[in-house]
Amino acid sequence: MGLLSNKDVAYLRDLFEKELEKSVRLVFFKSEDPARCQYCEITEQVLSELVGIDSRLTLEVHDFDREKDLVAKYAVEMVPALVLESEEGKDYGIRFYGVPSGHEFGTLIQDIITVSKGTPQLSSETLKKLEKLERPVRISVFVTPTCPYCPRAVLTAHNMAVASDKIVAEMIEANEFWELSERFGVSSVPHIVVNRDPDKFFVGAYPEREFVEEVLRLAEG
Amino acid sequence: MFFEVDVPKRFEIKDRYDIVVIGGGPAGLTAAIYARRAGLSVLVVEKTLEGGYVNFTHLVENYPGFPKIKGEELASRFKEHAESFGAEFVNAEAIKLEVKADKKIVELDNGKKVEAPVVIVATGANPKRLNVPGEKEFFGRGVSYCATCDGYLFSGKDIVIVGGGDSACDEAMFLVNLVNRITMVQLLETLTAAKVLQDRVLSHPKIEVIYNSTVKEIRGKEKVEEVLVENVKTGERKVLKTDGVFIFIGLNPNSKLVEGLVEIDPYGYIVTDENMETSVKGLYAIGDVRRKNLRQIVTAVADGAIAVEHAAKHYF
Repeated sequence: MGLLSNKDVAYLRDLFEKELEKSVRLVFFKSEDPARCQYCEITEQVLSELVGIDSRLTLEVHDFDREKDLVAKYAVEMVPALVLESEEGKDYGIRFYGVPSGHEFGTLIQDIITVSKGTPQLSSETLKKLEKLERPVRISVFVTPTCPYCPRAVLTAHNMAVASDKIVAEMIEANEFWELSERFGVSSVPHIVVNRDPDKFFVGAYPEREFVEEVLRLAEG
Repeated sequence: MFFEVDVPKRFEIKDRYDIVVIGGGPAGLTAAIYARRAGLSVLVVEKTLEGGYVNFTHLVENYPGFPKIKGEELASRFKEHAESFGAEFVNAEAIKLEVKADKKIVELDNGKKVEAPVVIVATGANPKRLNVPGEKEFFGRGVSYCATCDGYLFSGKDIVIVGGGDSACDEAMFLVNLVNRITMVQLLETLTAAKVLQDRVLSHPKIEVIYNSTVKEIRGKEKVEEVLVENVKTGERKVLKTDGVFIFIGLNPNSKLVEGLVEIDPYGYIVTDENMETSVKGLYAIGDVRRKNLRQIVTAVADGAIAVEHAAKHYF
């Protein structure tokens, strides 16, 4: 039996039919060593079920341990990792580290639609602020799959990445990467870290405007 | 492991609606359902997540028709229901409400202004803070207000739960499956949760309850390491080692938006008549933000229905 129910597949088929425009490539990195990646197999399975729903979606599977050039190209740090690329081969800077399960599966669906359309879902006010960005910004959003408030934080960060070439935004599943979570002192999610600086963080569900302001404030400081 | 496929949809919102509902919890979503059934256009303004505080609730056992349902599942069903009837949603915070002769203008944090003859305030309430040293400093460093969000991060650890009501006991029963040990610190001499919940907590070998006590301080270096507990009867103090502090001591109404506009009671709750209408015509308040005796999902949804029924008759 698949991970996605027949009902979910039918829902997604309908949604993709209505919403998808251009094709989207799911670039997935895994490790063959189950000791190094407990969740790679299940991630690959759910992604392959997902791309099977619409012909505009494709899945590319890479070996994190062997394909060093690609790992470097996408600056992928750990596995399982997922990158979304547009039809033109544009990497907007969207990263998923860990199984995109629970509520974060919805985030992935939304991101696929956004990349397919090629336009970020952000207010014009936010877009103006992002245009002024001069230095690269990395946003790391630590989440748990059961956190209902987390997808909005990840979606805002990912949309910021779509809007600006200077931004890379990653979802990190806090339980799977607990050592990293420990290092950043994550105990409540969403926990948002800017430029991987443990002192530059904020916690909680912020509306878009506040989220963007907080990220930019921390990035400048 | 589960895979949630529901995607938050974005709507292009209009400048004008028949009804604008501020807050997308059970009360606000029910108002939206009734508005659509009355043939009225409706916009629900929600700043974080539709379903509101219900999303925080591990298990709901007192909503008719659902002997046991996860809070977030009930919340998403409410939302789907409202959506299927054509209610529109915007993910934004209402930052200003202006009342003119026959219309009201809601200003959103994304700069947009929406106009409606009827506005329903369903802004709910937020978890109360303890207001003790260390609480703010260690939020996100061991202090939490959301068990479903953060519980897994305390797997195998020792935690303190502050509170002894329905929320505290419900969340204790959720967290106890993950953590090593729970100490509940309750201000009163008994728990105040529903009897069945109390029994579950009291009979659990991994939960200890300390009565007549409160947490006076949360301490640690990088993250929470201990709490200072004081017995409010004897004044006796002791230090408890802990990895986390979950606080469930009740709610604070979110009535700031209508401060100075309508009558608000000394605790911050909005005063309405039996039709849920405030002292301003066409401005309603429903759900947890309203002054009333019982704040539950069932009373919140009832408020929503009553408000829209009245508004539909009198203003359209």
